[in-house]
Parts: sequence; structure tokens; C-alpha cells
Amino acid sequence: MHPKSLLIATIALLMAGPGPAFAAGGHGHGQAHAHDTAAIGRPAAVSAARRTIRVEMHDNHFTPDTLRVKAGETIRFVVTNKGDFLHEFSLGTAAMHAEHQKTMAVMMEHGMLTPTGIDAERMKMDHSAMPGMDHGVGHDHANGVLVEPGKTADFAWTFDKTVDLEFACNVPGHYEAGMVGTVVIGR
Amino acid sequence: MHREPHTLSRRAALRLAAAAGLAGVVTAHAGRHAFAAADRALDLAVERTRITIDGETTRAIAIGGSIPAPTLRWREGEEVVVRVTNRLDEPTSIHWHGLLLEGVMDGAPGFNGFAPIMPGETYTYRFVLRQAGTYWYHSHSAGQEQEGMYGAIVIEPAGRDPVRADRDHVVLLSDHTAEAPAAVLRKLRISEGYYNNGRRTLVDFFRDAERDGFSATLRDRLAWGKMRMDATDLADVTGYRFLVNGKGVRDHWTGLFRPGERVRLRIINGSAMSIFDVRIPGLAMTVVAADGQDVMPVRVDEFRIGVGETYDVIVLAREDRAYTVFAEPIDRSGYARATLAPREGMAGEIPEQRPRTVLTMADMGMDHGGMDHGDMDHGGSDHAAMGHGAHGAHGGSAGHADPAPARAVGWADAATPPGAKALAYDDLQSLTRTADLREPAHVIDLRLTGMMSRYVWTLNGRAFDDGEPIRVAYGDRVRIRFINTTMMAHPMHLHGMFMELENGRTGRLPRKHVVLVPPGRTLSVLVTANEPGEWPLHCHLLYHMASGMMARFVVEPRAARL
Repeated sequence: MHPKSLLIATIALLMAGPGPAFAAGGHGHGQAHAHDTAAIGRPAAVSAARRTIRVEMHDNHFTPDTLRVKAGETIRFVVTNKGDFLHEFSLGTAAMHAEHQKTMAVMMEHGMLTPTGIDAERMKMDHSAMPGMDHGVGHDHANGVLVEPGKTADFAWTFDKTVDLEFACNVPGHYEAGMVGTVVIGR
Repeated sequence: MHREPHTLSRRAALRLAAAAGLAGVVTAHAGRHAFAAADRALDLAVERTRITIDGETTRAIAIGGSIPAPTLRWREGEEVVVRVTNRLDEPTSIHWHGLLLEGVMDGAPGFNGFAPIMPGETYTYRFVLRQAGTYWYHSHSAGQEQEGMYGAIVIEPAGRDPVRADRDHVVLLSDHTAEAPAAVLRKLRISEGYYNNGRRTLVDFFRDAERDGFSATLRDRLAWGKMRMDATDLADVTGYRFLVNGKGVRDHWTGLFRPGERVRLRIINGSAMSIFDVRIPGLAMTVVAADGQDVMPVRVDEFRIGVGETYDVIVLAREDRAYTVFAEPIDRSGYARATLAPREGMAGEIPEQRPRTVLTMADMGMDHGGMDHGDMDHGGSDHAAMGHGAHGAHGGSAGHADPAPARAVGWADAATPPGAKALAYDDLQSLTRTADLREPAHVIDLRLTGMMSRYVWTLNGRAFDDGEPIRVAYGDRVRIRFINTTMMAHPMHLHGMFMELENGRTGRLPRKHVVLVPPGRTLSVLVTANEPGEWPLHCHLLYHMASGMMARFVVEPRAARL
């Protein structure tokens, strides 16, 4: 993996986790991370994937906008940002995305994210002050990646069971504008 | 001063048409011959009709048999042909607001060789759609737009739309009066206070300030606003009914959705005189386009929309309930209301109306040095009618700390509650990069001026009839500075080309066909003059334009200068 992609993936670990722990302010609990993603599957080593799906990000939509996987299947996602703006590829239910959008909005307000990129310095500086954020590193719940314009990142995910799953970009405004697709989980 | 009302009204009604007649002789019309079939052809008749708003029936003018006129759904790249037949007994026209097209097709009488469509005549418009997005069309003759001649245009992009929605609704705002527009203008001219008793002027303010001191006077104004006795110069025609898609408050237009759907609302301010604050209690709106042009999505709770502007917003209505689209004119003289609901026959809750704001020193132009007091007419204002008894009444509570109930101070203040986000022009960033990065070759200062008490609205102190055209060379990049020296906001509209609003978003300046210039402020825009012709540049408040607040923006071919 390219070093820059590693950084991106690390940041993804930090923040792509489901929102509640982070967004809950003073009520942050480390364990809040654990239960949310379990419902939608689990992260996997890229090497464990038998199949690769390539996804392109544009301003502001995905190509393709429907993904077909099988329950139990491990997929390597290779995600390329072909747009001018920062985008995210995140797996979750509509409710998870809604929560995560709040987190992303806060990060944008704090300058950790900008419309076109990730401010690694601010990310380091600020995250420890935010309840929930400091628990993020090292947890195994990378259900997405943030990818800067022109960059490519990959990650792997094992899909467990049939749920209403979406892949979405939760950079403020992008989900609303339609940067979301459906994951169809077959048997 | 007093003039014959009859003369005034006649002049008012015929002003634009007369100017048009002169120019119309000069140029032959490419549009007036028969064509082979284009991608789309359409016939629209303009005719007198009657419209019933919440049970009250009045005279009106319809395009294509309805008010609003039929929504025109087109596709970028198509060539469209529209045959407009005038069944009125007066000249008419249709202007395609925001569309980039050949000058004569723009449909503004007196410009680019377009002559008004005379009674009984059919005019064939023909143009290629060079853009996508939400626009609108309306009459550019006399007061016909006020009488119902407006409709929406929706152009699908040739490529993939960067915005995806499950459902798409046009929300066309307008203001409706039972009075004939010529009568409205006549009354405005005879007496500036006709629709606005108790209106205070800047001159009054200075007089009061001299006598009472600035802060006391400002307090006084605040008190006036609270008592709702001061029309505060926010709007100068009242008595309107406010419509959404031609429906009044009682009949309320309903747009359907299925819970969970992503709904795109194409909100157009097609009113003659009303600037609205728009919100949907219970739903956040994500603004995805302004004036038809895609912008980086920005999530807001409300926005202000000037006359002629459009905003596309996305709402995610997840609940199985009715929502109210609520649009209040900034003078709070009423509201327009629509319903978003999963089924017909439902109604959302009507929110409480917001207070009317009170203008401040900044709104009166105190923050720029260019104030020309000569523009204000001292003679016409009736100071005695202001009722200073109210000032005394306020004296009793002066000095007490006011716990500040819902109150709005300053033009820009929509009384947005804490924590809610109102769209600001600074939030708008084009989704695509600014194409022309040249520094402007020159700067054009356009002072928005007026003699309020005689209802004369002008640009650089001159009415359209005696103003000089603004001339720029084809291909030049120019900056226009709109310097508002008046106490009203003016939605300034340039035909033929987009203005790139200099809002600090360098490299992604939003492209606008209307910029709403707040009272006492200056806004600047950049224009690449790449559409030859003579284009109207005017205030889109109908009666301001009719009273002279318009200029000719001429893009001259370079060859002509050799």
C-alpha cells in the first residue's frame, strides 16, 4: 500500500467509525464503537479478499451506484477519487450514515477536513480533545475510507448478512446531493 | 408635486413597449421565418383569463392556458422552438430568464432588436439549450409578469446530473394583486406612502438624530418596528397574496413524496416585488444549485431569495407526515405556503410568523462614503404624519433592559433562531471551476439610486430613458460594482451572461443571473463579455424597473471599433 494511502486509511480508522461515540460529546465510550458495525459485517485483511470491486468517486456521486455482494463474502474495495473534492466511501445503514454526518460536519467546522482534503496536523491536534476520538486508533472497524482528490485507497470488508446497506459519502452535503448507493447482499 | 394620473399610468404601461418599438425597426428578426422541425416545438398562447385564489377571482394573463405557465422540461443540447401567439389587445413578450442565447431570442423588447409581439401576432423563438438547471420565463412587457405571465423551465443536463433525487418538484413563488399593475404603479408614483403609511425615510432619520441623538433615534426606530407601525422600507407594495405554483394559502399546493425519498425542490422567486425567507420546519435543506448553476452542497435551515433568483434544494423527508414550505416576504405582510406530504389532503403545521426586521445605520448606507444625499427627495416626505406620539410612549420604557423578544435588527436579519443556519451568499461555491481567471480589464461602478418620495428608481442617478449605455468590448472580463445607496434591497439582473459573484470563493465563484444587493451595501461581480448584443441590466423589482432602474449593457464586437 502506498504510504499516502496508509495515512488515509489510518484516518479512516479514526473517523469512519460510526458516529455515536464521537457525536455524543461528553458521553463518549470506547465500547460504543464495537456494536454498530457488527450488524453490517466486519473489516478484513485486504489479502483475505477473493474479489475486488472498483468504485469511482465524482463530484458528487459514485460510479457504479449499486454494488452486489454475497452474505459472508469478503470484498476488497479499490476506491478512486476522480473529483475535485474530498470524498468518503463508507458502508452503513441510512441511520448510521445520518449519525456519521454529524461527526463529519464537526470535523469540517474544526478544519480537520476541508472541502478538498484532510488536515493531518489538525487531525492529530484536535482529535484527542474530542471524546471518543482517542479510542479510534487500532480498533477494527474501518467501514470506510476518506480519499483526497486524485488519490486511490483500498480496504476490505466481510459482509455478514442481509441488511439495508448503503455505501455513502458523508462529507457535509454530499449524501443529501445523492452521493450514496445501495449494497445488494445476496445469498 | 402633482401630475395627471391618467398620463402617468399610460406612460408607465407603455414605457417599455415604446422604447421597444424604436429599436425593433432597426434589426431584422432571424426568428420570424419558418423552420424545419427542431428537437422540440411548442405553441404557447398569451391570453386574458381569470384566476381564483383562495376563493377570490380576479383578472389575469396566462401563458399556455395556466398560471403559472406550464413548466417547460427540456434537455441540454436540444434545439427548442416556441411559437408564442399574442391574444391580448396589448403588446407582449416572453423572456427566458437565465438562459444563454442569441440576443433577439432573449425576448426583452427594445433590446437586441426584439420587438414586442403585437396583438394577433405569433412570434417564433428558436434556440439551442446551452446549459442545464432551473430557470424561468416571464413577460418583459409592462406589468404583465405581475398578472400571471410566469412559468418554470427545467433543463436536464446532457451528461449525468451531479445531483440525484427520487422526485422533483417546482416551487414557484409569486405575489398576486387584484389591482392592475398600471394602477399600482400610478399609486406608487402619486404617493410614495400609498402602500406604506408611516414609512420613514433616511431624511427623517437624520432629522430625528439631530434632535434626539443617534442612539435615541435608533432606539426609536427599534420601537417603531416592534409596534409594527413602521413599514421600514422593506417592501413598497403591500396587499399581496403570496402564491406557490399559483395556489394561495388556503388552497395550498401539495407536492407528494414517499417517506425516505430524496426530493429536489426547484424554488423560483417569480414574484414582481417580494423577497422571501424560505424554510421547511422539520426539514433541513441542502442547497445544490443557485440560479440554475450547480453549487457545492450546503446544508441550511432557511434562505432568503430575491426576485428572479432560483435555488434548488434537496430534502430527505423520512417521516410519514406533512411538511410546510413556508415563505415569508421580508416585510412579513403575509406568507406563501405549500405542503409536502405523502398523500393528498394533508396539511403541515403553519409556523409562527417571524418579526419584521428594522433597518439600521448600515442599511442606510452609513458604511460607505458614497452616500449622495442629493438623491433623497426632501420635499415629498410628510414628516408630520409620522406620529411622534409613539416616540413619547416609548420614552416610558427607555433605559430598561429589554429581554429582547423575537426581534430582528438590520436588513440581513431574518430572525433566524439560534443554532439554525441561514444561507449566506458567502456559502455559495460553484461546483465547477471558474473558467476565466483573468483580472478584470476594467471596473464599472453602478450606483443603485432613487428618489424614494417620487418613486423614481435609477442607476447612477439616471432613469433608463436618459441613461447612457454601459459599453464593454466583446471578450473582455469586467467587474461590475453594485453600490446600493438606497434603503431597499435591489435584485439586479443581467440578461445574456452569468455574473460571477465575488464572494471570496476564488476559483469557484458562483454564477448568478440575479444578485440581491442589500440596502447600503456594495456587491461586486465579474462578467466575461462573451455574448455580443445589447442586454438589459436592471432591478428585477417590477415597479423599480418600470420606473427607470435599468441600463443597456452593450457588448460591442471588436471589429466595430476598427
